[in-house]
Amino acid sequence: MSSSEEFVNAILELEEEKALKIARERLEAGEDPLKILDDLKVAAEKVGEKYEKGEFFVADLVMAGEIMKGVSELVRPKLKELGKAREPIGKLVIGTVEGDIHDIGKNIAVTMAEASGFEVIDLGVDVPPQKFVEAIKQHNPEVVGMSGLLTLAIESMKKTVDAIKEAGLRDKVKIIIGGGRVDEYAKEYLGADAWTNDAAKGIRIMLGWVGGKKV
Amino acid sequence: MGVNKEPIDVLIERQQKEPETVAKEKLDIILKAVELKVPSRVPISGLGGDIMAYYNGKTWYDICYGFEKAREAVLSFAKNFPQDFPFILAPYGLEGFIFALAFSEFPDFSNTIRFLTGPVHDIIRDKWTRWPGRELREHQHPQFLGGEFMKPEEYKQLIDDPVKFVHDVVFPRACPGLGKPKSPQWNGTLIRIGLTLQRITQFQMALFQELGKLGYPAIPMTSAYSPADVIGDFLRHPTGAMLDMRRHPDDFKAACEALIEHILKVATAFPPAPPLTISFIPLHLNEMLSPKLYNEFYWPYLKKVILELVNKGYKMFIFFEGDHTPHVDTILELPKGWGVAWFERPRDFIKDVWEKLKGHTCVMGGVPTNLLIGGTPEKIEEYVKNLLNQTKSEGGFILSTGIAELPKETPKQNVRAYVNAALKYGE
Repeated sequence: MSSSEEFVNAILELEEEKALKIARERLEAGEDPLKILDDLKVAAEKVGEKYEKGEFFVADLVMAGEIMKGVSELVRPKLKELGKAREPIGKLVIGTVEGDIHDIGKNIAVTMAEASGFEVIDLGVDVPPQKFVEAIKQHNPEVVGMSGLLTLAIESMKKTVDAIKEAGLRDKVKIIIGGGRVDEYAKEYLGADAWTNDAAKGIRIMLGWVGGKKV
Repeated sequence: MGVNKEPIDVLIERQQKEPETVAKEKLDIILKAVELKVPSRVPISGLGGDIMAYYNGKTWYDICYGFEKAREAVLSFAKNFPQDFPFILAPYGLEGFIFALAFSEFPDFSNTIRFLTGPVHDIIRDKWTRWPGRELREHQHPQFLGGEFMKPEEYKQLIDDPVKFVHDVVFPRACPGLGKPKSPQWNGTLIRIGLTLQRITQFQMALFQELGKLGYPAIPMTSAYSPADVIGDFLRHPTGAMLDMRRHPDDFKAACEALIEHILKVATAFPPAPPLTISFIPLHLNEMLSPKLYNEFYWPYLKKVILELVNKGYKMFIFFEGDHTPHVDTILELPKGWGVAWFERPRDFIKDVWEKLKGHTCVMGGVPTNLLIGGTPEKIEEYVKNLLNQTKSEGGFILSTGIAELPKETPKQNVRAYVNAALKYGE
């Protein structure tokens, strides 16, 4: 097994120490840190597949996310040192909508999106519509993600989509909504482009949207 | 009123004209269902939430802080939307079991302090919850946020003496309103909490009496909890708890074990009284765990709590939050007739829950909350009719939405259609 395969497997087995150890060894051996990030992307995709198949649960996504975050933290200074950067495959502005302060789902989406190669602008929780609009103007993302757990989040998502429309930005972004109580009905009602209560599926939808830009 | 009264209107009238008879009927069908028998009509439950407040022109702030307004909203809702097994929190309460645990040695008030209310939040300024008119706007639903108030290296202290740990370490971090332990502010604040609880208890006792006059039976209820959820909800945040299961598995399990004794003290604060005393547990981490984690870190400790209480004569009432489908089989490890299992959103209610548990567990749920929000009266009638036809002859079933949180946009005619269909096809 190559160190690359071994590394991806350690993440899929949720063996935190092993995965971090391999990453450290690879960096010390002078391997291109971008290769490690590529492996991370592969791992994120497989983690997503496992979740969709029902082999992984939220607790597993949380652990996998934590490992991937740990690896990124090891790789980042090395990249800087070498003056390298990874070209992001797309930009995602994401936040938990106004009135809702739950963030477990959003945080999983953020980690998975980052590992998949997105540049993520995380606006945090209880984000008012105007803040989404400003962030779109400032960062020019391809995708806007709105998260929420409570039923009231549906109304806030609608207000946010309306504010984006009013600002004349609706055609510039794809909008995906996520959370325990969103469904097709909610998506139609508030005018989003996609919905998901599964971070992995959400990432795949987003990858499809920015697909043309993929290197 | 028109000539053709609908079943719901008949019940609304009877609730006011002969409340005692109606309350007795309701209690009787609940008892039958809990005992896995066939009641004369399938009991109805699961109505509440924003709709209760906004139907009566109140805000969430009113429901949380204005006792009089909360009373009006509850009574008016109870009158116009009859159900058999209501779950009413007034003034509104959020998860606060850590306080029950902290005062588990005080059976006279451990269950009173179990739900956190707005007025108590104002005093202790806890970081677990957010309230309308305070951290949230007045029309917003109060929210439980939780947080991390214990470091992983502190498990040993928690295991040694959970109650002492909560008082000495957790409260000072999570409740800045209490000030420093043993300070004049700390002592004074505790007295102020006591005074507030007294006010709340008096209000609630009066409210339950009034509900009795509207045909609602009073069923005594104590509170229990799943040990792993104490850690996830109040000490380590769910994310931290899930990571600890892998990083500190032995500590996590020892902590769950150490918490059981104190949880049981709260749940047995008063003895079970015939014909029915319920002990309520809402589950939180369940849906997020794989069967492997659930069976190692969650279920064994929850099961101990349940078995002990069932042995003592309580019936359990457990809210299985989210999609409990992967773990449903474990419920069969409990003795037949242990209590009521309320399911929020199993993948396929009939196949994954009902077919597995009927005849063993009293099952509650079956109606997706979104159907009441987005469906039509015709669709709701059809759905409820179909569901009842598959369940009623077996007994041991309580018809309910997945969670009693209907948003204010829920059409009233849909709620009426739900109750109507339940009355029409539940006999």
